[in-house]
Amino acid sequence: MRRVAVTGIGLVCPLGHDADSIFEAARSGRSCIHRLQIASAHRLTAPLAATVQFDGTAHFEPPQLRLLDRGSQFAVVAARRALADAGCELSAAERERTGVFVGTGMGGTLSIDEGYQTLYGENSDRIKPMMILKGMHNAPAAWIGIEHDWRGPNLTYSTACSSSSVAIGEAWLRLACGAMDIAIAGGTEAPLSLGSLKAWEAMHTLAIEDPADPARSCKPFSRNRSGMVLGEGAAFVVLESWERALARGAAIHGELLGYGLTTDAGHIARPSVDGQAAAMSAALAAAGIAADEVDTINAHGTGTLANDVTETAAIKRVFGARAHRIPISATKALHGHLLGAAGALEFVLSLLALEHNVALPTMHLDVPDPDCDLDYVAGAARVGVAGRTMLSNSFAFGGTNAVLALRAVA
Amino acid sequence: MTSNTFDDTEKRIRALLVKDFQLDPGTLTRQARLDELGVDSIGMAELIFNVEDAFGLKLPDVTVQLSTFGEVVQFIDDAVANQRAAAAPSALALGVPTAT
Repeated sequence: MRRVAVTGIGLVCPLGHDADSIFEAARSGRSCIHRLQIASAHRLTAPLAATVQFDGTAHFEPPQLRLLDRGSQFAVVAARRALADAGCELSAAERERTGVFVGTGMGGTLSIDEGYQTLYGENSDRIKPMMILKGMHNAPAAWIGIEHDWRGPNLTYSTACSSSSVAIGEAWLRLACGAMDIAIAGGTEAPLSLGSLKAWEAMHTLAIEDPADPARSCKPFSRNRSGMVLGEGAAFVVLESWERALARGAAIHGELLGYGLTTDAGHIARPSVDGQAAAMSAALAAAGIAADEVDTINAHGTGTLANDVTETAAIKRVFGARAHRIPISATKALHGHLLGAAGALEFVLSLLALEHNVALPTMHLDVPDPDCDLDYVAGAARVGVAGRTMLSNSFAFGGTNAVLALRAVA
Repeated sequence: MTSNTFDDTEKRIRALLVKDFQLDPGTLTRQARLDELGVDSIGMAELIFNVEDAFGLKLPDVTVQLSTFGEVVQFIDDAVANQRAAAAPSALALGVPTAT
């Protein structure tokens, strides 16, 4: 198996649009969750979200923009930024040995919601001709491939909240086995339609608003946690074989060591200690490292009652007594849950945490929960303790558990 | 020689193409092939949708292949004329004697 380097990072994210700004926001514990300023906000029990400051007209000419759902716009811009960061120019022959791997949970749900508004809300049959092309899940990946003329595999993974970790992991597999030489991998999500927000609300998975400060509403691992807050955005990385990265003198952000993927095959929504623990163990095995070598963990840490207690138990299962000494970060308190893009964003934050040797804080953990009794780096970042090796966890409705193992460059 | 309504239709469709597809108005001669200007089959579906909105029309499903700007204008101008005729009181309804 070949080693895989991360050589590019590209972001369109609630915390910021470049690596430095999102790292600084995460390190300082600055939440960008806020009350949604939309006309239909009054129809939501808790109109909270982490939104992106983004104007598509700044990035696309009108003839292309009319074809792009907001999620595709995020993806194309984030992929551009990742490739610019990687600084690689590919020949036509090299473009045959590339791959685009995209995770998205809800696809072009904004465009579909708009179509349904026309059909059912306005009782009109005048559906816009572009709705299928804007709404389909594989549109973001397709547009990235079109823009850069990348002609290898162009794949979309939709495994709910683990989608983009799966995308990055599957890209790793193909790079590691030599099937291709360079990949763009990540995820995108633009889920903030009224229809989608109401559907999430109906599941009772969304956080209630913190009465003192809406920005503090998502509280992973805290006893008073009440759920997650939806976010939007995209995060992409450029992955390439270690030899290729070295040969061209690329700046390497870190190494993707391996990837574990398991399925609960149990309940459609209830997380499983067995499945989560198995995914972490599988990532260790794929990476060829022992549990003792893991220095820090990026938790899935949604702030839901079920996830956080299950994930805590799964980490204990894998790491035993040492679990209590591993710093664990849950950054969704700050950027919300980007669903299909969450794993990619948190993989990037994990890379940056290793690069800066900082364990990122879990914010708003105000009330300890006896069932969540590990070291979550509550309230403030810890400098100098990130170590070299991390796991980044992503778990999902449907039971698809994906864990990425990564290491700092020596 | 073309009618006033044809010229008016042409002007309005040219404006739509310039706005929605960022086409250079100078390229939109009646002989210009729209696919060569970047308006492919899906773009044509969108143009038809936008024309229906702008003209308040329901266009028939296109069974003929429209290639040039002039053909598109003719197709839409015919539809405008047909709609106008359909909206006018028919001869039968007015009790006018017919040949049969």
